[in-house]
Amino acid sequence: MENFALVIEDDPDLSGIFTKALEAAGFKVETLMDGALAQKRLEEVIPRVIVLDMHLPHVDGITLLKQIHSTSNFKDTKIIMTTADNVQAELHRSQVTIAMVKPITFSQLRDISARLKIN
Amino acid sequence: MNQIVKFWERINAFAGKDSDTVRKGRLLNVMLTGIFFLGFVVLLLAAVTGIATPNLSSVIGTLIIVSLVLGYINQFSVRSASILLLFFLTLILVFADAPAELAGGRSSFVFFIPIAISSLLLAPAASFLFAVIATVIIIYLSASANIPISPTIPSGYFFLALISWLASRSLEQALTDLRGINANLDRLVADRTQALSESLEREHIIAGRNQAILNSIADGVIVFGADNQAILANPALGRLLERPLNDLIGNKLETLMHTEQLSPASRETMAQLIQSSEQASSGLRIEWGKKTISTSIAPVMDGINNNIGTVAVFRDITREAEVEKLKDSFVAIISHELRTPLNAILGHAEMLKEAIYGAMNDQQASVAGRIMANSGRLLNMVNDLLDEAQISAGKLSIRPEPFKTAALIEGLHQTLDKVAADKGITITEELASDMPEEIIGDAQRLQQIVINLVNNAIKFTEKGGVHVRIFRPQPDQWTIEVRDTGIGIPKEELANIFEAFRQVDAVTTRQRGGFGLGLSIVKQLVELMRGEIKVQSTIGSGSTFSVTLPLETH
Repeated sequence: MENFALVIEDDPDLSGIFTKALEAAGFKVETLMDGALAQKRLEEVIPRVIVLDMHLPHVDGITLLKQIHSTSNFKDTKIIMTTADNVQAELHRSQVTIAMVKPITFSQLRDISARLKIN
Repeated sequence: MNQIVKFWERINAFAGKDSDTVRKGRLLNVMLTGIFFLGFVVLLLAAVTGIATPNLSSVIGTLIIVSLVLGYINQFSVRSASILLLFFLTLILVFADAPAELAGGRSSFVFFIPIAISSLLLAPAASFLFAVIATVIIIYLSASANIPISPTIPSGYFFLALISWLASRSLEQALTDLRGINANLDRLVADRTQALSESLEREHIIAGRNQAILNSIADGVIVFGADNQAILANPALGRLLERPLNDLIGNKLETLMHTEQLSPASRETMAQLIQSSEQASSGLRIEWGKKTISTSIAPVMDGINNNIGTVAVFRDITREAEVEKLKDSFVAIISHELRTPLNAILGHAEMLKEAIYGAMNDQQASVAGRIMANSGRLLNMVNDLLDEAQISAGKLSIRPEPFKTAALIEGLHQTLDKVAADKGITITEELASDMPEEIIGDAQRLQQIVINLVNNAIKFTEKGGVHVRIFRPQPDQWTIEVRDTGIGIPKEELANIFEAFRQVDAVTTRQRGGFGLGLSIVKQLVELMRGEIKVQSTIGSGSTFSVTLPLETH
């Protein structure tokens, strides 16, 4: 497994920042801004890290989370949940590797994702 | 027969005469009637038995006529009729028998009649007058019949006169007393009746006024008696509960609450309210159909502290509840939506500063740093707003987990060292040696408490420092104490500093920045953690905030 990361975030600014942060941490990054597209893409790739926003167009983060947990394909995949809602973060904390409440700074995500890399 | 009764009533009326005269007049009427009918009966018997003589017939005839005439006179003057009757009787008795029989024989007693009657009809003492008259007649008759006078006969007359006088006098006395008693009784009854009618009138006015007051109250009011049945309700309640007033009166509170309109949770609230109606409670919310109602209930006490019922007040707060809900979701949405672009500004500025897009000169890096610092401040404010909204909506919960006590201090330095240094003040700390290395608590929220308290202290301190001390005041408690050398808090403001959106004055808000939510959030978080916060302050020399929490370890 290579250090490949999938950033699923619909806000163009945040997805740009998250992508740059993961790239700065040494990941090869693919960015998706739509839940339905992400759903399709997750059938094709097995990333090391998924940065998953909860609020997405067409298919939301909860549904994607269910899809990820429905197969054993992603047993080595680290999931970073990002949400602006701390109640939601608490609610799904157990289903993800790390739950991050927005605002998430560039350096925070860079440092956290760097620790999830395969060396 | 009816006419006879009416006639009898009419001749006994004696309108406009005093009660003594009426009594005597009626007595005279009875006597005259007796004489009248007795005369007829005697005449009839005499005729039947054949012993009627012209002498007897004329005497009785005269009696009958006299009784009619006197009866007529009686209607105008009782006294005259009485005197005439007595003299007439005395006169006629003189001819009733032979002079010898009258003077000393078996007929002497006939003069008893006027003596006895006079005391009743005229005056008690009149009996003596007729005793004198009878004696004079006896003396005259004795002299004319030439027989000696028996002294026993006049003595008998005077003796009878004495008895009649005494009897009549005591009768009159008794009647006078009785009249006095009656008059007293009448007065008493009149007084009581008057008082009763006045009090009824008063009660009527009070009841009317109470009902008018109740009717004019916008809140629904219902009063239950000692048996828990509704005895009073106002139209506002009928409108609020959408039921006619007649439906409410006479029902128990339990019965009123047994309705589909009341949600199950609200029904439970009401049940608790009813059970504890011995104590006053207020502000409990229930959902009635589409309405939100605030309910207050209180016992009704009489003058000697007996519970004689319950009064319940229902206030329609549907609009307030809607506005509150709107406000909560407004704050939540605004805070939520503000975070995303702020996050982007912060991120982009950070990337510039981190030279992701190439190196910048010092001035450019400094501007990027200022953008970051200001967006950070803005973010903190938005976070405070969101926290406040979530706490007041009851959506924020405390999640205890084991954490390192020292991490609180580390986090504090990481976040606020630069802020303090910019103002030229220092943050020092002291972690008591008896504090466990690891304790159980919501680390994120505890960190927030420490940071908010220290941040607040830095804001109001111009020189000196902020000292944080973590220690155990009791074996089962731990305390976070934040002491500053700042401006202090005026005594009259101490009670208000934990209120949301409040700073000591508007000027400080502009100078120090922020919404003034920090302390309010700290207090609410501390309460959620079942702890307590205290503050001591001296103007000019600084303030000390201390948060004491239950200590939990493994």
